[in-house]
Amino acid sequence: MEQVVNGILVVNTETIPGKMITETLGVVSGSTVRAKHVGKDIFAGLKNIVGGELAQYTELLHESRQEAVGRMVADAMSIGATAVVNVRFATSAITAGAAELFAYGTAVKYE
Amino acid sequence: MAEFAILGILGIFALPFLLLTLFWAIYGIAMPLMFIWGMLTSGRNLDKMIEETNARERSTRAALGRDPLSTVDRWMVRSDVTSSGLIYASGVFGPSYWQLMIAWVNNLTGGSVTVFQKVISAGRAEVMQRLRENAMEAGWDDVVNVRIDTADMTPQSSQKGKIRGVEVFAYGTGIKYN
Repeated sequence: MEQVVNGILVVNTETIPGKMITETLGVVSGSTVRAKHVGKDIFAGLKNIVGGELAQYTELLHESRQEAVGRMVADAMSIGATAVVNVRFATSAITAGAAELFAYGTAVKYE
Repeated sequence: MAEFAILGILGIFALPFLLLTLFWAIYGIAMPLMFIWGMLTSGRNLDKMIEETNARERSTRAALGRDPLSTVDRWMVRSDVTSSGLIYASGVFGPSYWQLMIAWVNNLTGGSVTVFQKVISAGRAEVMQRLRENAMEAGWDDVVNVRIDTADMTPQSSQKGKIRGVEVFAYGTGIKYN
């Protein structure tokens, strides 16, 4: 839960609170498709019978989202941005046990 | 000796299939038992989870004197913001097979499908509480522009969806005042 990822400020508000945006550099995005090994899938399947939280998938999506954000930040760094604003997320389940996570936002420079 | 060698090679090839058969045999026994277990406990577990989430939420509100989450850009009101950053929390929640059956019966008669509503709202409350806890842990005073997404974890591509679950994902911008 760090505020700055690799020196890039990431927020999901349209502007950066308390800062001034000087330049917008375009849309940056990062995506990832990840899966858990079959053992965890089986456990999740069994847990699904009795209901409740499927901790294996919670963990899977959390890791994937961190990776997607990381890639988005890398994309922003490569075009020389100092912050990413208005970040949005999208999720889709491709097959059982694999999920695609997509994070996108606008790369900006601020002072 | 040659026979043994052939048997050995056959055994190596047959082993995965034997393991698979064993797995399905165990699954065949375990599945009905777990279904009954779920039938007996899932309702109570859900109530327990709702109660536990509510208790944590009350203690957070008591500690701060207010709810740190808001869907508006509240920092526009205050100008003494020193830092900000993205925070998020998520969870995957699924109904039990028994609850799916109740929902199916509910579907026949129409009207509100209370079971699903309860499962999803319990999950959503839990994830929002996690977001509050994450924010407090990271030292944010406030969380603005909170968005809550719900994604179906049951894939469209599989004929009979194995996992019946919903992912609840909440994110927002944590801000710190001077």
